[in-house]
Amino acid sequence: MSITVETYATLAEATSAMRDKTQFLGGGTMVVRGINYGAQDYNRVVRSTDAALRGIRNEGNQISIGAGVTMSQIMASSSTDFLAPVARLVGGPAIRNMATAGGNLFVRPPYGDFGTALLALDANVQMSDGQSLPIERFYAQRDSQRGIVAAILLPRPAHGVFRFRKVTRTKPKGASVLSIAATLPGGSRITEARIAFGAMGPTPLRAKEAEQALEGASLDATGIQRALDTCLNGLDPSDDSLASGWYRRAVAPVHLRRLLLGKES
Amino acid sequence: MSSIEFRKDLFADERDDDLNEIGKPTIRQDIIGHVTGRTRFYDDYLFDGLLHMRCVRSPHHHARIRSVDFSAAERMPGVRRIIRPQDVPHNINTLLSLINFGRDDEQLLSTDKVSYMGEPILAIVAETERQARDAVHAVRVDWEELPHVLDVEEALIPDAPVVNPEYPNNTFDYHALYDHQKLRFGDVEAAIEKADFVVEGEYQMSPIEQAPVETCGAIAAPEQNGRFVCHTSTQALFFSLGTTAKQLDMPSSRLHFIGGTVGGGFGGKVDSHHEPLAVLGAVLTGSPVKYTWDRTEEMRVGAPRGAERWRLRDGVMRDGRIVAREFTGFFDSGAYTRLSSYAIIKGSGHLPGPYTIPNVASNVYCVYTNRTPATAMRGFGITGVDFAIECHMDKVAETVGMNPIELRILNAYRDGDMKAHRRLAKNTALIECCQVAAQKAGVPLSAEASAAKSSEGGGIGERADIPETITDDMGRIGDRRQREIPTEPFGGATNRGRVPAGTRGEAVVAAEVQDPEMQIDPTRIGHSVSQAAGTAAPVEPPRPVQPTPPPIPTPQPLTPPPAPVPAAPQPTRPQSAFADPTEASPAQSTPYRPDKPFQRGVKRPGVSSFISGTRRR
Repeated sequence: MSITVETYATLAEATSAMRDKTQFLGGGTMVVRGINYGAQDYNRVVRSTDAALRGIRNEGNQISIGAGVTMSQIMASSSTDFLAPVARLVGGPAIRNMATAGGNLFVRPPYGDFGTALLALDANVQMSDGQSLPIERFYAQRDSQRGIVAAILLPRPAHGVFRFRKVTRTKPKGASVLSIAATLPGGSRITEARIAFGAMGPTPLRAKEAEQALEGASLDATGIQRALDTCLNGLDPSDDSLASGWYRRAVAPVHLRRLLLGKES
Repeated sequence: MSSIEFRKDLFADERDDDLNEIGKPTIRQDIIGHVTGRTRFYDDYLFDGLLHMRCVRSPHHHARIRSVDFSAAERMPGVRRIIRPQDVPHNINTLLSLINFGRDDEQLLSTDKVSYMGEPILAIVAETERQARDAVHAVRVDWEELPHVLDVEEALIPDAPVVNPEYPNNTFDYHALYDHQKLRFGDVEAAIEKADFVVEGEYQMSPIEQAPVETCGAIAAPEQNGRFVCHTSTQALFFSLGTTAKQLDMPSSRLHFIGGTVGGGFGGKVDSHHEPLAVLGAVLTGSPVKYTWDRTEEMRVGAPRGAERWRLRDGVMRDGRIVAREFTGFFDSGAYTRLSSYAIIKGSGHLPGPYTIPNVASNVYCVYTNRTPATAMRGFGITGVDFAIECHMDKVAETVGMNPIELRILNAYRDGDMKAHRRLAKNTALIECCQVAAQKAGVPLSAEASAAKSSEGGGIGERADIPETITDDMGRIGDRRQREIPTEPFGGATNRGRVPAGTRGEAVVAAEVQDPEMQIDPTRIGHSVSQAAGTAAPVEPPRPVQPTPPPIPTPQPLTPPPAPVPAAPQPTRPQSAFADPTEASPAQSTPYRPDKPFQRGVKRPGVSSFISGTRRR
């Protein structure tokens, strides 16, 4: 099977070129690896040099991150400083120079830490056809629909509200046993918390019962207990070479406790 | 320049410090090429018209192959040759057949069934790697899944699935007698009965992938006059050469192997799987062929260090002396033997670790399971059991309430002590290692422990003697298939044999060359070997059973206590039903005489250093 690579100047042209057995190439850390390993489900690769894909813009109190923005760019830009610690934990420097924000929405566990952070931040996914999807809905229909992500739109969280934790066996470049992202507004009494787990299901997933359990609670041992007790509901981790699903379920509440209490260990 | 601290103050009187390399910092001979990027690895050799080989592999742990349909693959663009099992001239091998150890049990490409996930059944040669990969996907195999077994002890129960048809009991056959390797020294059962404490522990290791940066592979190409050149990543060039000659039924003079630059090996590049396939590809296509693993194959098909499970049971006196140690060990060999059988022999010679323990017994099993075959990795056979032993030493120290370093010094072997495999310990250095480690770690030692020396206090009285040894005959080959038999030493035994004190046992007789035609004529290759090399080496007669001298009182502080006197023969025990009468009765014992000449530690062409008893003599 020979591989065709097509390059388009605009995202619109690239969108209309998408067909069966075709992959859109972002940074290539997954698509090119698939080619090298003889992936049988695509033989056509479409890419775009559209400059809009590579920009980070402030739009009022929202930030727009182009789908082609790399992890290295996220780390370097002052607009996305709160996401820099997340981007910093994706792969090594070579991967971060190539891997894109849009691509991270399509990877399978144990990857997808950046998307987990975006889920907790209540981002909106802007598709190239103009559609705008809340990220949770995007993840729910990701595998059944065809479309190219143009940008990610998200509100800038207040200082100290966003927290992220990635659990790996090897440091600093390990893939996730699991990752947890949370926005915890409200100060001493939490309101409208969002908690997202990565590598705990086929896509990043919210722990909704735990979010509700934190409503009005304070971030201390008793205040978070009910959230810890319920955080696994709705999660569906599987086995891989890094950890078994059983192990992931066993340690997830421990790491959530550390995240909520702000403790390193 | 170097962070190594040379402690030349230790053993200064045992060493002439006039060697050029040993005891001096040195740089690796190949490091300049590596850091400047000029080293040429096998994959750096370029060939016009290079073809690429990929294998069709089993997706199951254990399955019968009902049928294979490669008609679609054959017609795909770029596909040059599909290599089937019947294209391999001698499609059965075991790595150690080159030194005559074990039976051939593994096919290069499997015909009837597969016994581990990733086992190859077809090799496809195509013009590009992608074409080869696509063709692999186009092969249709009708698999009949079979029940599998992934745990070493589950594999030993009578109705466990048979993993390896050559060894239908799921265990390697040791010495044509037992389904495990036995070690017996003294009377463990009696000593444990008299001990103040019995300390038990179980230790489990996982398989470990060697994970080289350069994945395993080889490129083979036709040369002139019917020869084939093979550039390979192998760690064991002549092993790979011999294996290729055997499997391709081709004189080794037609094979021109080039290696020596290994991009990381650590034991994972001795299995000689790529070379025969690459050369066979070159033979069948007449073109250069590369066969290399990708990273996934390296991790999932490449043979790892095998998992080991060890159970230890110690008899310990209140003062910290270990008077008995019993081992039950299981090596997970995976589906085929590779090198695990040998690792067990090596490991059994190491027991009970660097300690002088007067009563030792061990049963070690080389078990076949439906997991990736295991192979060599740095110190294999020793590393796993050492982990178990040292964890256990800490457990013993905790039990008797002793500083773990002092416990080790108290029980350490010393020069002149008899080891359980009936060789005298020499050049021992554990005590000094412990003392330096304690000093570096800031652990205070008692005056006695600080003054102890490896060169003093050993070899005194019973420490140097081979005690009367109790034996059993449990676990004969095939018995475990009939009924469940406890796996530990003496497990289920009702009869016991007695080997008189001082009996050394049989020395290993050098293996004969498998094919007499391959016996090297030393004069042809320019070595002159004295006639003496071929004649019997002087055999040490068994030590006479001497009256044990009373322990000599010595002014040394912390003289290791003499071993407890072995239990007197108990008349209530039945005379062994199976032991050779000449063995059972000291009166009738005759000195051991080898029926064939053997050498020990001799390096001469045609004799593998694997089979020599020791390399230190």
